Amino acid sequence: MPLTTDSLPRVSTETLPMPEARDEAWHTLDQHPLVEVEDGYAATSRDFVELVMKNPSVFSSKKAFDVLASPVPLVPIAFDPPEQTRYRHILQPFFSPRVIKPLEPDLRKQVVELIEPIVQRGHCEFVSEVASVFPTQVFLTLFGLPLDMRDQFIEWKNAVLNLSAAAGQTTIDEAAQEGMLKAAELFMYLTELIQKRRGVPGDDVLSQVLNVEPPDALSDEEVIGLCFLFILAGLDTVMDSLGFGMQRLAENPDRRKEIIEDPALIPAAMEELLRLDPPAPFIPRVTTQETQVGAHTLPEGSRITSYLAVANRDETMFPNPYELDFHRSDNRHITFGMGVHRCLGSHLARLEMQVLYEEWHQRIPHYRITEGTTPHVHWPRGTVGLDSLHLTIGESS
Amino acid sequence: MGHGVCYGMAPNVYADDDQGYGLVIGDGVVGDDDAEEARAGAANCPESAITVAD
Repeated sequence: MPLTTDSLPRVSTETLPMPEARDEAWHTLDQHPLVEVEDGYAATSRDFVELVMKNPSVFSSKKAFDVLASPVPLVPIAFDPPEQTRYRHILQPFFSPRVIKPLEPDLRKQVVELIEPIVQRGHCEFVSEVASVFPTQVFLTLFGLPLDMRDQFIEWKNAVLNLSAAAGQTTIDEAAQEGMLKAAELFMYLTELIQKRRGVPGDDVLSQVLNVEPPDALSDEEVIGLCFLFILAGLDTVMDSLGFGMQRLAENPDRRKEIIEDPALIPAAMEELLRLDPPAPFIPRVTTQETQVGAHTLPEGSRITSYLAVANRDETMFPNPYELDFHRSDNRHITFGMGVHRCLGSHLARLEMQVLYEEWHQRIPHYRITEGTTPHVHWPRGTVGLDSLHLTIGESS
Repeated sequence: MGHGVCYGMAPNVYADDDQGYGLVIGDGVVGDDDAEEARAGAANCPESAITVAD
């Protein structure tokens, strides 16, 4: 059936059954490669998502992030090439595998320290006790900050994330005011930190970014923006992925048995869990000119969002797309995005997750979702994740 | 394109540069021992950026 303006289906995303049945929610969207949603268009097929994400001159990330009106430049996501290319070139070496990999022993030690008390206790709330604190500790490690700042950073991070979720609202309530106060505190802290570190040699990423020589050197404002983006993009995403992954493993003991019997399967299992549950499943762009998406013409200034979780279930690329299968011979999921804006921190995120899945399952092979509790996805939201995941350790009685 | 999947899966065939981009080790010709690895690295590239020819 040819796609015309008249035939473009409309979906109300707010009423999708995301909280308890996210597979069903994504399935609602996988019937049409392009649909109309509340804030514009949604690209859901792999083909259309590739078209959008691989043509940054037509589908602008900068224009999409302009509405956030961030007080700091969100380096590099809120930019388009060529500025974005320059930022990526400066930043990529600090997040490349050869830099990230040496962190592994330290991260492994930290994750074991988080898991051991749970082995003893026999139960946990996985999201707040493990998934939330681990990526925050990794951030502190990477930036050369003391781990005892962890809870302070979690508080700041939540405030900033809530602020960005509320962007666009016209009224400012008490919570938003509180959020702004916290964001200002974080801003002050980072400003002082940058002043202290600039010109002082150090092994941590922040010191190294600050010591980049001209003409690549970044201004204080740019470095603060980078720190904010790192906090916005790098902490809750890993937390949400881990929560989703552990939920699916808890609910699928047969699949879990596979990785317990063969830990070498964990990297493939991790990729499959990532495929099904991208934590940032909506990648916004705004068109810079009138353009065609399939048979449909989008006017200049149209907002079109790539729905990664749906594209990752495109059955032309993934046979039996709703099945959790740790033996896919090719798993070209795009949970980390694709094209020029693909996730800068993917190597770090993968290392964090792999280390956690390995150390957890070595110590806690048997666990289940605690009776009487149900994990819920917060919805509607721009990023998705579980509010909580109560786990009981041991074989079911 | 820098996802790092190829050299993660097939370190005998692909390597990374200091930007994290993937490159082919040597002249790109692999023996039978590494052929399967080479194919797996290509098949899992999110950007479909790698072609393996027989």
